[in-house]
Amino acid sequence: MLATAAVLAVSGVAIYGALEADRVGLLVLALGAGSVVLLVYGLALASPPAIVAALAGVAGSWSASAWTRGAGAPGGTILAAAGIFVAAELAYWSLEQVSVPDEAELVARRAAGLAARGALALALVSFALAALDLHAGGGLVLEAVGVAAAVGLLALVLVLARAGHEVPER
Amino acid sequence: MTATTGAGFSARASESRGLFSGIASDAAAAGRVTRYATPKLGGYVVLTALGLLAALIFARPELALIAAPFAVTLAVGLALARQPDVRVHVEIDRERVLEGDEIEVEVELDARDSAPRLELLVEIPPGLELVDGTNPLALRLEPGDERTLELRFRCARWGAYRLGDVHLRARDAAGLLAWEQTLDRAGALRVYPRPEELRELVAPRETQLFTGNRVSRQKGEGLEFVDLRPFAAGDRIRRINWRASARRGDLWVNEFHAERNADVILFLDSFADARRGGTGTLDQAIRAAASLSERYLLDKDRVGLVNFGGVLNWLRPGTGLMQRYRIVEALLNTEITLSYAWKEIDVLPRGTLPPKALVLALTPLLDDRAVSALLDLRARGFDLVIVEISPLPFVEPAPGASGELALRLWKLRREGLRSEYERAGAPVVEWHEGTPLTAILEGVSASRRHARARA
Repeated sequence: MLATAAVLAVSGVAIYGALEADRVGLLVLALGAGSVVLLVYGLALASPPAIVAALAGVAGSWSASAWTRGAGAPGGTILAAAGIFVAAELAYWSLEQVSVPDEAELVARRAAGLAARGALALALVSFALAALDLHAGGGLVLEAVGVAAAVGLLALVLVLARAGHEVPER
Repeated sequence: MTATTGAGFSARASESRGLFSGIASDAAAAGRVTRYATPKLGGYVVLTALGLLAALIFARPELALIAAPFAVTLAVGLALARQPDVRVHVEIDRERVLEGDEIEVEVELDARDSAPRLELLVEIPPGLELVDGTNPLALRLEPGDERTLELRFRCARWGAYRLGDVHLRARDAAGLLAWEQTLDRAGALRVYPRPEELRELVAPRETQLFTGNRVSRQKGEGLEFVDLRPFAAGDRIRRINWRASARRGDLWVNEFHAERNADVILFLDSFADARRGGTGTLDQAIRAAASLSERYLLDKDRVGLVNFGGVLNWLRPGTGLMQRYRIVEALLNTEITLSYAWKEIDVLPRGTLPPKALVLALTPLLDDRAVSALLDLRARGFDLVIVEISPLPFVEPAPGASGELALRLWKLRREGLRSEYERAGAPVVEWHEGTPLTAILEGVSASRRHARARA
């Protein structure tokens, strides 16, 4: 159920990107379809790397679609970003169910939480798109994003390394 | 650790406190808490980094926007992640049960702090089947929540088990970090083989000195009339047979067979086990030994056990309830141990095999060492009865004509072995799975009676 929902979400983004593309629509569709296949594979075999690759692939297909339409980010990016995020949440939730299924009450709470996070993602991307006026594209804003990427990556690697440590009971 | 009373033989309660908490008085039992990053954390980091870097490299803002929800989830999730604090109390209602009985395990959870997703797994040893309840289970606990999970297990197979080990895994609200802990709260659960109802037992040829329920060949105090003899000084008046005395004109008294007990040694061959699916010859032997020991002990006989396998164990003959428990405990610890050591029966201490004992062997006749040991026993003059637990139902012939031929040869060899025992004066009775043991014992008793009559 969760896996199906994740696949549907990714498929939706892939089809949306292909339909919105001004040219090389088939290429965008092929990239999206490949991502969907990869996601199905990842969910079937409970393979997190395949899921990451599938999500990156569908993001790439959307980016390719956006590229055919010019330098700026199209308005549909809001839906695409929220869709990819919800698909990721569903996919990882689905992986958790492979080992231990949630009891009914927990499923309801998690579903509500997911809906809220999806809405927040939608709001966040909308806000970012509006505030940064990314339709203009390039320049100082993208440079700032790049620096943030580098700093953020370093910080997250450090967090990951710390998280992997075993913590004895206090 | 607390103790409560409950139904059954006894009750056991165990508490693990400090699970995911900051108190460490029971750390050895509670085990270590291991924190690790979930695949989701790794995936979100990769997606965020890829999105942001690709946005920079290709100058595509939409990639940065797509990465934004992942980045925010990481930042908020990691900032809010906290080690949960849940205490666990495991209670098993009984620690000694019979095969086929059901036991109830209660897992009480007491959350001192929230656990957005707590996975709980009670380790089930093979031989126990979950009949009611959910295991494993994922649930959510708010601070102050108390939950009791009830699990009902059916004890499908005899054995000594450790039950109560609990594995816990908690995740933070975003599912980025996980904490794992194993609570070593296992208690011993002993599942005794369910004894079969036996109508008749193989009567030992010789009895011992102690009072019992067996009619001895010797004369003495008892109920079974044996003979008449002239009255002698010291004879009790109530023993006078007045009718015979009146007929003969002199006082005659009745003589009776003494009632004595007997020594029975159960010889369990645990060198080899023919097994298919959930059952095998050793299971049959264990159940038979449990049934026989119970029944012989009820008849006031002294019962001992020789567990003859890769590891040699024995129990000296004894009587009473304690001996019954000793035998069953020894049976529970029986397992097939691979050993190439040659064990002569002579290595057994003399006291293990008391003179005039009936040796009742339960064997699949698969291992030459056990086969020879039984022949040695017979040669030493023991009253030996062999119950051959047939391995045939558990054997599948190899495909092809050669496989069939090998099976036939193997069966012929077994026939030859039986003849050898019978020539030595030890009856062998073949017991197939599904046949009641009592029918087998009745057959043995009948053949021994006929043999005695012929002699």
